[in-house]
Amino acid sequence: MSDSEGSMYSDAESGDAESEVDDNIGSEEEMSSPKKKRNIILSEDEDNDSDSAPKKKKRKFSGSGEEEVVEEEEEEDYDEEEEDEDEEDAGRRRKKKAHRGFILDEAEVDDDDEEEDELDWEEGAADLMERKSTYEGPTAKELESNRRLHDLMNSQNEDEIEAYYRQKYGDSSAMDRFGEGEEMSDEITQQGLLPGVKDPNLWLVKCRIGEERQTALQLMRKFIAYQFSEEPMQIKSVIAKESLKGYIYIEAFKQTHVKQAIEGIGSLRIGQWTQMMVPIKEMTDCLKVVKESAQLKAKSWVRLKRGVFKDDLAQVDYVENSQNACHLKLLPRIDYTRMRGVMRNSQPDNQKQKKRRPAQKLFNVDQVKQIGGEITNDGDFLIFEGNKYSRSGFLFKTFVMSAIIAEGVKPTLAELEKFEDQPESVNIETIPDKIAGEITHNFVPGDIVEVHEGELIHLQGKIISIDGNKITMIPKHEDLKDPLEFPAHELKKHFKTGDHVKVIGGKYEGDTGLIVRVEDDVVVLFSDLTMHELNVRPKDLQLCADMATGVDSLGQFQFGDLVHLDPQTVGVIVRLEKENFQVLSMHNKVVSVKPQGITKKKDTRHAVALDSENNNVAVKDIVKVVDGPHSGLDGEIKHLYRSFAFLLSRKMTDNGGYFVCKTRHLVMAGGGSKTNIQIGTPGFMSPRLASPAHPGSGGGGGATPGRGRGGGGGAAIRRDRELIGQTVRIVQGPFKGYIGIVKDSTDTTARVELHSSCKTISVDKTRLSSLTGARPGGGGGRTSTYGARTPVYGGQTPMYGSRTPMYGSQTPLQDGSRTPHYGSQTPQHEGSMTPGRSGAWDPANPNTPNRTSDFDYSLEDSVSPASDILSPGGPFTPQTPGTAYSPYGASPSSSFQPNSPHLGGSSPSPLGYQASPSPAGYGYSPMTPGAPFTPQTPGTALDHSNADWHTTDIEVRIRETHEEANLIHQTGVIRSISGGMCSVFLPDEDKVVNISCEHLEPVQPEKNDKTKVILGEEREATGTLLSIDGFEGVIKLDGGEKNIKMLPIRFLCKMPS
Amino acid sequence: MFYHVSLEHEILLHPRYFGPNLLNIVKQKLFTEVEGTCTGKYGFVIAVTTIDNIGAGIIQPSRGFVVYPIKYKAIVFRPFKGEVLDAVVTQVNKVGLFTEIGPLSCFISRHSIPADMEFDPDSNPQCYKTKDEDVVIQQDDEIRIKIVGTRVDAKDIFAIGTLMDDYLGLIS
Repeated sequence: MSDSEGSMYSDAESGDAESEVDDNIGSEEEMSSPKKKRNIILSEDEDNDSDSAPKKKKRKFSGSGEEEVVEEEEEEDYDEEEEDEDEEDAGRRRKKKAHRGFILDEAEVDDDDEEEDELDWEEGAADLMERKSTYEGPTAKELESNRRLHDLMNSQNEDEIEAYYRQKYGDSSAMDRFGEGEEMSDEITQQGLLPGVKDPNLWLVKCRIGEERQTALQLMRKFIAYQFSEEPMQIKSVIAKESLKGYIYIEAFKQTHVKQAIEGIGSLRIGQWTQMMVPIKEMTDCLKVVKESAQLKAKSWVRLKRGVFKDDLAQVDYVENSQNACHLKLLPRIDYTRMRGVMRNSQPDNQKQKKRRPAQKLFNVDQVKQIGGEITNDGDFLIFEGNKYSRSGFLFKTFVMSAIIAEGVKPTLAELEKFEDQPESVNIETIPDKIAGEITHNFVPGDIVEVHEGELIHLQGKIISIDGNKITMIPKHEDLKDPLEFPAHELKKHFKTGDHVKVIGGKYEGDTGLIVRVEDDVVVLFSDLTMHELNVRPKDLQLCADMATGVDSLGQFQFGDLVHLDPQTVGVIVRLEKENFQVLSMHNKVVSVKPQGITKKKDTRHAVALDSENNNVAVKDIVKVVDGPHSGLDGEIKHLYRSFAFLLSRKMTDNGGYFVCKTRHLVMAGGGSKTNIQIGTPGFMSPRLASPAHPGSGGGGGATPGRGRGGGGGAAIRRDRELIGQTVRIVQGPFKGYIGIVKDSTDTTARVELHSSCKTISVDKTRLSSLTGARPGGGGGRTSTYGARTPVYGGQTPMYGSRTPMYGSQTPLQDGSRTPHYGSQTPQHEGSMTPGRSGAWDPANPNTPNRTSDFDYSLEDSVSPASDILSPGGPFTPQTPGTAYSPYGASPSSSFQPNSPHLGGSSPSPLGYQASPSPAGYGYSPMTPGAPFTPQTPGTALDHSNADWHTTDIEVRIRETHEEANLIHQTGVIRSISGGMCSVFLPDEDKVVNISCEHLEPVQPEKNDKTKVILGEEREATGTLLSIDGFEGVIKLDGGEKNIKMLPIRFLCKMPS
Repeated sequence: MFYHVSLEHEILLHPRYFGPNLLNIVKQKLFTEVEGTCTGKYGFVIAVTTIDNIGAGIIQPSRGFVVYPIKYKAIVFRPFKGEVLDAVVTQVNKVGLFTEIGPLSCFISRHSIPADMEFDPDSNPQCYKTKDEDVVIQQDDEIRIKIVGTRVDAKDIFAIGTLMDDYLGLIS
């Protein structure tokens, strides 16, 4: 190759270069004029081709040589070729003919397939610019396919052929040919084409600025003029580079040749003396086309700078960077008032009309025909006046880059609409304003990408790093191991079916899902949240590495929230989109609303409704739909609003599984047994009332333990001074475990300043436990119980009835230190404390296993008898209505009534869990200071009354609390016990009376008295009291053997002798 | 795919259970706590086969609860991409088929159902069927599917499947 080239050049050197220059001129000048001539030449060439077979080979070589040059030198490198031709003959045309023939002969042997194309561009080139046509012939590919052309030429009249081509390719630009050139490049090793030492050099000559082009033309004319003179110019070519101001290149072997050429050219005067030779290595760089800074891409929007389309919006069809031009799609501006073709003369030429700018309008075939326009078909396009129009009426035309504005184009909506009224989807993509360094992609490292333009198209890889718009990726290819760098726009994201992705842009931003289908420009994904299919563009997707669950909240709203659409309507958010919500209203309509349009979430946690079977259903219940449109489904109640329930079902695919039903159409799963029980109680509808957590909240229902207390304690909010200042631990709720100091306290709540975090919170007192030993409120409340027994406090007694059960557990705590302490305080607390206490304790005690274990640990069985005694509130009432204790009647103690029979029965253990009363527990009692103190206070007696000491066959004394005054202080013998009532035989009156257990106290035995043990382990044992030692009595138990025990005197009771 | 793997679990036991039956209760608790659950790593725990070791219980300070570390073996079901499984159709709608493979829910998109099968909303129950009604897929049918993707959450696994492959579809 290089050899042939070398020879070529030398030939050229010797021969005149006229034709070459001629070509150049053609290219520089108006392109249309030489067309005809060119075509004729061409056809002649063809004619001759077949004759000159031997020449062909050479031509081919030269052609390839040419090609190299073409590649390197953008615009004006055709000279070489011309030179080759010149070398062979002096006369350009003749030479050409010979040349062509040469080539084509060879081509005959070759494949014919591409002939048509070849032909096309040759003609087009001829039309446009002569220089190109000369060079294009010899490219390797062209040569191969010339034969068909040849045939065509032979068969047709030259003029016809010309006319045919001109019409068809009148518009075709140089780019088409360059396209060919590029293809060709594949066939030829680039390396071999680089200029070497044997090639002519490039000389840089200073030129007057702005006259580069003219100078080149001038030189060409000069060349022609001297062509046949004694001293023809020996330069090879002149290059005026568009981007290079103030210089032209002249190609020549020697500087003297250059000097000779530029002599006398005015604009080159400044360069007369110094011409810089371009080093061989840099020659290619001289002619390298620097890409436009704005990277135009297909589908982007541009505007035109000048001409009839000035400021018009156009969409880039494709870009020829090498040609510095691009193919645009735009709305044509055809002057339909001007007559064409045969009708041209029917209308007098009107200057004004010509000047007017025709309106933007889609190409209209009928109208064009009306004005006599000729339309021809070319594949999918219509050709009219050399312009291509798509079937949909758009003009497709090539423009040079300099004629378009690519940056910062913002199409208006109206403009876009014009483009949109055709089926192709319009991408509202503008060329981003090219602010330096701006990142215009949304790739992240780790993305799987695919190259979608350039040489490595379809190559897949994984991004490893990103630097601005340069993206480095590791290709997924067996032969490519090294990271490759790509501009961002050459890559697109690649996804596979089954990938879990997150949407990072567009309408569904934030959603995640699994890809179920991947198409060219759209990915179908199955949303995790909504179970919908979404169509998303790949660029808006990102592999979701952590398999997140997706967005479910926007501002204060969350997926599944109940919101007010208007004061009467509520709905559930079933989908969150970028800027609005889909809300399923209670009328089963899905509406799209903006966050601003929704008023508020509504909390329905405590709402209760009735289902079709009058069960109470509440949020979180599982229900089945038995009627209505969703009949057959089942689901969990998420929200209740009036008679509407919003259910969530996994089987529901719409609306994220949410649907709305009337509550009357529901039936609770598993029936409503649990609720039915509750139904009986008044005021049940609100679970709140029954809730132990809110003892104070209930207003009127006497059924709850809380209520009963309320009756006694009074409604007024009082400060609970006793608790203030105590260190407490919060035992329930969100602050469970926190320790703080009570700053203030009312009946039900306490303000607690937390130790750990510097804040003061309000806590329900039932949720507090005192760290100083007493349960807050408990101690006081408890003690007051004693007080309550005393006549003084009679008024308060009612409140204790409900409290009793807790009693058991409490007492042990109190014993020692506590009692005296509280003893004095009792009066203060009674009312206020108890309500708080009882709420917490009453329901909790019997129910939770925890309590049981408490008992286990504390071994406080002794207490239980006490509680039994207290509980008589229940049994008591029926028998003594209207007594001082009548308030008991209303007390909730009903729940205890079942226990009381136990009491009365022979078994002393009133409650199952309280086990049998163990004297061990009781052992504390004597120790409690309360016991010794009892003598001072009427409460003493209560100690006994608290314990379940009653048994048959013991002597008891009737206390002053008894209603019947005449019986007070009488002693009697218990004959039987039943339900808190004792049948007492009064020997004095010789009658048996029924007396409530609590009005009795045992008669302490004296020495040698027959004695019965009424408390403790030895309960029910009988014996004889031997002696009394302080608080202890020495008793000799019956049973035969010597069994003497020391027992607290209070454990003992005198038996009737 | 099913695996027999060794797993570990900690049982938190309330003191009330302390007693002669303690170990039985611990085992029982393990079964109830573990079987039927799902972890992203191992998938669904189908059944505990053997309990290898019940470690020494440690009483939790200030709570009284006891923690037993347990090593056990269990059969787990972990779906994988590309796996072919038999599924029961639970729901048919225009979007596709919802199926269940034991504890695993699997969705087969309309796009993943061969194009010759069309959704017939008018039939009862709704179904996908070929033109000649040769193949009809409706609720409760057994179909063979291939998993093309899984979404693994902390507590659940969800799969999407396809019928677009050889030998997939209705099992008759």
